[in-house]
Amino acid sequence: MRLFDLLLFCSVIPALAAADELKIVSWGGAYEAAQRAAVIAPFAAETGRSVVVETYDGSWTALSEHGAIHGWDVVDMLADQARIACARGLLLEIRPQSLFSSEALRDFTPVRPDRCAVPQNAYARVMAYDDRAFAGVKPTRVEDFFDTRRFPGPRAVQRSPDGILEWALLAEGVPPEQVYGLLSTDRGLRLAFRKLDSIRDDIVWWDEPAEPAEMLADGRAIMAAGFNGRFFDMAQRGRVPIDIVWDGRIIGVEVWAIAATTDTPEIAREFILHATKPAAMARFATRIPYGPTRDSAFDRIGLNPDTGVPMRAYLPNAPQHGGRALVQDSGWYANTENLRQRRFRNWLGGPD
Amino acid sequence: MTAEPTPPPAPPLLRVLVLTGVALAVGSAASFAAIALVELVSVLNLGLLVAPKARVQWESMPWLVAVTTVLVPTLGGLVVGLVHKKFMTGGRPLGPPDVIEAVQFHKPLPGLRDGLISTGTAALSLGAGASVGQYGPMVYLGAIFGSFTQRLRSGVPNLASIAIGCGVAAAIATAFNAPIAGVLFAHEVVLRHYATRAFAPVTVSSVTGYVMANVIFDRPALFRIESPGIAHGYEFALMAVLGLLVAAGAIVFMRLLLAVGPTLARWIRRPEMRTAMAGLAVGLTALALPDVLGIGTSTLRFATIDGAFGLGETIVLIFAKIVLTALCIGAGFSGGAFSPSLLIGSLTGVLFWTLADVAGLPNSGAAIYAIGGMMGFASAVIGAPLTCILIVFELTRNYDVTIAAMVAVVFSNLVSHRAFGRSLFDVQLARRGIDFSLGRDRAHLAAMHVIDFLQPNAVTATTKDTPNSVADRLHKKGWREAFVLDRDGNLLGVFTPGSNGTIASVEDALSPARLIFHDTTDLADAMERLRGFVGDAVPVVSSKSGKYLGAVSEADLVSAWLDEAARLRKEENAPV
Repeated sequence: MRLFDLLLFCSVIPALAAADELKIVSWGGAYEAAQRAAVIAPFAAETGRSVVVETYDGSWTALSEHGAIHGWDVVDMLADQARIACARGLLLEIRPQSLFSSEALRDFTPVRPDRCAVPQNAYARVMAYDDRAFAGVKPTRVEDFFDTRRFPGPRAVQRSPDGILEWALLAEGVPPEQVYGLLSTDRGLRLAFRKLDSIRDDIVWWDEPAEPAEMLADGRAIMAAGFNGRFFDMAQRGRVPIDIVWDGRIIGVEVWAIAATTDTPEIAREFILHATKPAAMARFATRIPYGPTRDSAFDRIGLNPDTGVPMRAYLPNAPQHGGRALVQDSGWYANTENLRQRRFRNWLGGPD
Repeated sequence: MTAEPTPPPAPPLLRVLVLTGVALAVGSAASFAAIALVELVSVLNLGLLVAPKARVQWESMPWLVAVTTVLVPTLGGLVVGLVHKKFMTGGRPLGPPDVIEAVQFHKPLPGLRDGLISTGTAALSLGAGASVGQYGPMVYLGAIFGSFTQRLRSGVPNLASIAIGCGVAAAIATAFNAPIAGVLFAHEVVLRHYATRAFAPVTVSSVTGYVMANVIFDRPALFRIESPGIAHGYEFALMAVLGLLVAAGAIVFMRLLLAVGPTLARWIRRPEMRTAMAGLAVGLTALALPDVLGIGTSTLRFATIDGAFGLGETIVLIFAKIVLTALCIGAGFSGGAFSPSLLIGSLTGVLFWTLADVAGLPNSGAAIYAIGGMMGFASAVIGAPLTCILIVFELTRNYDVTIAAMVAVVFSNLVSHRAFGRSLFDVQLARRGIDFSLGRDRAHLAAMHVIDFLQPNAVTATTKDTPNSVADRLHKKGWREAFVLDRDGNLLGVFTPGSNGTIASVEDALSPARLIFHDTTDLADAMERLRGFVGDAVPVVSSKSGKYLGAVSEADLVSAWLDEAARLRKEENAPV
């Protein structure tokens, strides 16, 4: 992989000087490496365009601070961040109908392109457990995350209200389609925090997305809430016996967007069109377990080029997973940021 | 009453085709319309800051949320009231009772324009957060599509009634994702008989609605519950007690609902001010208790979560919801009583569970009691126990829970039927003079009046006529009694010519009529009173002026009764 990265980097470097080069901003790490190999390099090779990639922290504030100065063109964003950025005029309107045929638009799943953003891959917050910790019955449902009697032991949870509030209500038997409606009420939040109270003493907090998998690996936690890609990575590359519970997965969507300040809007559109072809999505998903956001791409997913693992089973939005799935409501997330943070801090601060 | 002209029946195969085609068409249209109504309400709820998801967006501006909470239902009420006053013929919204009346008496539904306006104001009422239900308007909307077959000259007897039943079934099947319940609702509440000719198309239509909602539009069920079942045997007995409790609640609710309308009308003369005032009451209550706003889907869900409501909170909420719903419907908001009933009933179930839990009774959790209470209460209101039991079955797909709910439903119906009446609809209809409490046949007979069966050649006389001339006229017309009138046309009595011919004047032989009917006397009543009557005709006099209007012969009344009985028998046993 390192060698591959290096080669790729070399192939991109000569283009830096070009006048109409495309500057793509992404997240770095294994994610960006997969993106370069599966999406960016083929685009550069096929079109002859020069492309440079920069890394940022994923927030819309970074876009507003650095976008214009550093000449960002295409930005890889979380759907809710893109919504906020779009509402604040930081993104170019894409007009999906002009970019895609209506058939292609229908092919997008679980959400379609909107005013400023085109979905590119789907990740999930999932629950994973250390198989060594449960010799007999293994956890299989979100309810088990909150069941310290049957499954005792420390649980790794992000120090943030994201995801865990949804799980708390799912564990109370609320069907996925009602979760965000109920969390919009004071009573819903109270019930969610009440559920969190039941595991308060068993929580070990994490802040960096890499931590939950590490905590499972080194025994600091026996169950963890985290991102599916990280657990996959630890299980495959670290050879740690971690298993993912797909029930209650919260599917989030990563989008491509174009900075409002771009000087090459046409090339940016061309790139997005290219990057969201089913073939590109499938190439990406075989390198890292982030699922395609087009139905037709699922049929193309094969083996991971490095490990030879068949990847379809590890994609968060693969059709064969059973259990409950929740698509993260990016509109709701964008609107309730302050409320969720405030209530969460209050809960953290004292015994409710 | 049976004004429908009856064309010659078509051959059976054609009738099967017509019925199937109508069932499919009406079923899909009604289902589509029901989904559209739900979507419209949901868009309005989001736009008008009624839905929690919309309210939470503006959480940083509490004053804005507070202002809209009060203003939206108030202004919504004002608009609904004005529209009803200006554009509706009857000045009131339409609902299931109108459907029942049309189907039972093979009458056309109230005008299409009124129906559409009523649906529109229902969407607005629900959208603005009034405490009313969506199922009444949905049922009416389904019925509208069925009523379009009225003009169809298909050769299928009673097609319009059957088609209306189809629309109603599809609406319920769509609303609850419950096709079996849809079929039963149409039969229990609307058609009130189980002839194959109606049962088959209604079933087809109901399944069509289910397919539309579930397969084509892939809509989530209103209410999904995963329940582990009933843990303890004695909980079935608790369910019976819960049934009695919700029956009491339902009776209070229905009596209040019926009383509020007339009282409000006395207090507030302008109808639009009544709805505005009811909206204001909802808005002000919602400032402290947002759960009372609108249909309350999230509140219904919370009720199934153990301990979501405190004891005091539950009591306050039940009370508020009963009063506000009665107020909103009584004031003239367009909407039904079914979904508020579901909510009040489930909260009553939660209250019961909380008490049982506090008392230390081991139990299977709040959800079971919420469902039992919900269906017990709602079945008393809509008078459809089987439908409610089946809704539970289709929503939970859990046998134990269904049986537990069935116990609650049955005990609730036992009390409410005895103490109040079969349903809110039936009591509303009874107040309009259509009484189903003694069965469908009785209601049909009660809807026919003796005045419609007057004998044109009944013989009348005055006191000045000579006995012989009267006897002559009687003889010619083949009657034995003449009705003697005074100069103003009031009935004085009956004159029967004797056989010996010694009577000096008509007045001497005048005897009081043994039986008198009024223009308001219905056939059912007349048949009762004819028991033991000997004579060939009964005089009918005006109940207001006392004037003689004509006479009906006993034979005519008996044949009318036999005809009606035969018609009902035919309808209720029609094969295709």
